[in-house]
Amino acid sequence: MVFSSLTFLYYFLPAVLIVYIMLPNRITVNGIKIKGSPLVIPARNLLILISGLFFYAWGEPKYVWIMIISTLIDYTAGRLIDRFDDSPKKRTAFLLVSVIMNLGLLAVFKYSSFIITNINGIFGLGIPDPKLSLPIGISFYTFQSMSYTIDLYMRKIKVQKSLIGFTSYVTLFPQIVAGPIVRYEDVAAEIEERTVNIGKISEGIGKFVKGLAKKVLLANNIGIIWTQVKAMDYGEISAATAWLGILAFTFQIYFDFSGYSDMAVGLGKMLGFNFPKNFDHPYMSKSVSEFWRRWHITLGTWFREYVYIPLGGNRKGIGKTVRNLLIVWGLTGLWHGASWNFLLWGVYFGILIVIERFGWGKVLEKLPAPISMLYTFLIAVFGWVLFDTATLTDAWNYIRAMFGAGGAFADSTSSYIFTSNAIVYALCIFASTDIFGKLVKLLRKKRRKLAEYAAPVAMVCVLLLCTAYLVDATYNPFLYFRF
Amino acid sequence: MKKKLNIPNVITCIAFFAILLAFPIITAFLPKESFSQTENRTLQSMPKISSKSVMDRSFMNKLETFVSDHFAGRTGWIKAKNSMEIALGKYEQNGVYVLDRRIVEKIDEPDYDSVDKSIAAVNKFAEENNMPVFFMLVPTSAEIYADEIPENAPSLNQKEFIRYVYDGLGKSVTPMDAYSVMISNREKYIYYRTDHHWTTQGAYLVYSAAGKKMGYTPYGSNMYDIEHASNSFRGTFYSKALYDKTPPDTIDIYHCNADRGDVEVLITSEFGKEPESYDSMYFREYLDVKDKYSTFLGTNQPIVTIKSNNDGGKLLIIKDSYAHCYAPFLTSHYSEITLVDLRYIQISYKQLIDPKDYDQVLFLYNVSSFASDINLRKLAYD
Repeated sequence: MVFSSLTFLYYFLPAVLIVYIMLPNRITVNGIKIKGSPLVIPARNLLILISGLFFYAWGEPKYVWIMIISTLIDYTAGRLIDRFDDSPKKRTAFLLVSVIMNLGLLAVFKYSSFIITNINGIFGLGIPDPKLSLPIGISFYTFQSMSYTIDLYMRKIKVQKSLIGFTSYVTLFPQIVAGPIVRYEDVAAEIEERTVNIGKISEGIGKFVKGLAKKVLLANNIGIIWTQVKAMDYGEISAATAWLGILAFTFQIYFDFSGYSDMAVGLGKMLGFNFPKNFDHPYMSKSVSEFWRRWHITLGTWFREYVYIPLGGNRKGIGKTVRNLLIVWGLTGLWHGASWNFLLWGVYFGILIVIERFGWGKVLEKLPAPISMLYTFLIAVFGWVLFDTATLTDAWNYIRAMFGAGGAFADSTSSYIFTSNAIVYALCIFASTDIFGKLVKLLRKKRRKLAEYAAPVAMVCVLLLCTAYLVDATYNPFLYFRF
Repeated sequence: MKKKLNIPNVITCIAFFAILLAFPIITAFLPKESFSQTENRTLQSMPKISSKSVMDRSFMNKLETFVSDHFAGRTGWIKAKNSMEIALGKYEQNGVYVLDRRIVEKIDEPDYDSVDKSIAAVNKFAEENNMPVFFMLVPTSAEIYADEIPENAPSLNQKEFIRYVYDGLGKSVTPMDAYSVMISNREKYIYYRTDHHWTTQGAYLVYSAAGKKMGYTPYGSNMYDIEHASNSFRGTFYSKALYDKTPPDTIDIYHCNADRGDVEVLITSEFGKEPESYDSMYFREYLDVKDKYSTFLGTNQPIVTIKSNNDGGKLLIIKDSYAHCYAPFLTSHYSEITLVDLRYIQISYKQLIDPKDYDQVLFLYNVSSFASDINLRKLAYD
């Protein structure tokens, strides 16, 4: 089930939310006594667990057991790390069980085909490829679970003794399939105790509908263009078509993913959780390093906390810093998918960030903002070519087409794409900036009442508009599901 | 301390939940149609749940389609969305271009290997049967009104396409020019605005021009009583665009005063069964439903034979649905016409009809259906 579907929006969501709001955090059953004290049912966590499993199984009925088993193992590992607090060897062993299991799942389901194909290619072997399909959200929930066991091992957090509490963290439906990668530390307190009130629900609704609009109105509409251009023969398209195509993808992936994150954050709010921010106008960045502090923030945080810093970060000399940066960016690339394109895409950013560290960053700072923004934006655009073409050859041919290898600079195809979609491009450019946010802030300052009452009106209009698009949805993919 | 309730927040929550609850509740009480007349397609029925359909997700997929197919006010939502997009300049909707005065089809560039196979099959048919074979490719409204289509919008050049096909025809096939008739009459009502067919008037004009080559003397328009059978026809293009501002079409029936007596129409819908007999070429029951074009000889059927009391030979027409409003004009000049629709015949035509029983053969297709046709090649089968 995806958030941007009628089934989710008009059936699953209202049903779960209404029951959830009516339930208390805990129900104490005085009639049943366990070891002398009355039975306490963590009602809301239990509802999150059940609805989350239902939500996940709806999209991935075959592999729901993988998530259940890995959650049970991580929970047990956590309890044991806590139980053997004074035995460093045992603690390390239990942590390793959790980490190896999570990375093992990724290795088997996400990377086995890639590894086997390459080994076969290099050594001329014929190892059969199991061709396993990728369980939805596995890259997200394995990283989330690891954040729990690793932080517990580092003694940053307290153990979660309640199995329902821990499982509800993993199966929390807003973030289960496509992030943000909520670390256990971020929500540890809210799993125990949280409040739901009109203010939070209304804030959550605003955020959710905004995300829905990004996905349904912007990403889906501009994505159609990329689908068309991507299928063309790169040897024959005009430079303008190539640019319009990759720009379409540039906006599609941003609004698709940040829209999803907004919806997740909004849903979290409605349920009483505060998820971390995942996007902050990345296309306004003035350097590549800044871009990655604004794009998929929770993934960057995860790699910084659990890979970069443990490797020594930037505190062990230039050589180690460069090594650590390249490792992190290689892994970031591979996290997105098992192919050379993704690895190269990650390393591409890694190298640019290294260059920025050693001088180039200072130059960028001095340049006028529009120039450094354009520079960063173009870096991202070329990155997306690498990211979304099937092979390195395709990526190369596409980049050549952007520089006019297909012959014409513009032709009737590019003119038609542009004229019939000019409004969509304009809206996407506008929505990529923070201008709208600033206007809203200004209105709040000058005319507070008007701004407050305009919000529900805008919400209703956008929700109805999105519904119209969903009723007629012929094109509604979610890009980040395959990661 | 209890905070004061913030009114806009309360409005947001109430409005959000009211919308989220209202539509499922209304949907639950609405009757579930199995077919959408407006959209001209079968709707998803409630899927059956089983462990297999759950595990392979077919149950979930079908249920999601079911939800959106039966969502309260479905066509209203789509119409509102399309109207907004068209107002914003997105004329291309679901494979058609919505223009100011009409809707026309977006025809993709054909697969020429496939087109060549069709041409070869027609040539083979003509050579094998050694009889007068005529071939007519009728342009569609997208070509005749190409100047109304937004600039640079991809649209097949049908004039060139027709030339390509005619150049490929062998000596034993006589090409018939419908293009110049249609283009020179483009100010007249020759195509439906909301459907992919030509109008009865369009068919009449081509019938008048075709008489010379086929050897009949066409009747002048003064010989016909024109009946406006319906003013509320919204055709297939309407179903695709779901756009209400294009005016609905008129279905005209031309009654020829020169015709002698009644006709007999024999329709074979299933092989091995006796054909059903009717006494009119016009199936008026279709005037009351959405698919009003089927008033002309009914829906597409494998074989339809029209027997008239008029003088003249026997004609075999291998056709698509453009022939349905064209054939009635020809009945004035032929004693028997058989229409064969290869799309609905899975065996060799030789088992069903012998071209030798006829005096002439006419291939009648519109460009759009011929360009994507994969059935003509069946003519080459034994």
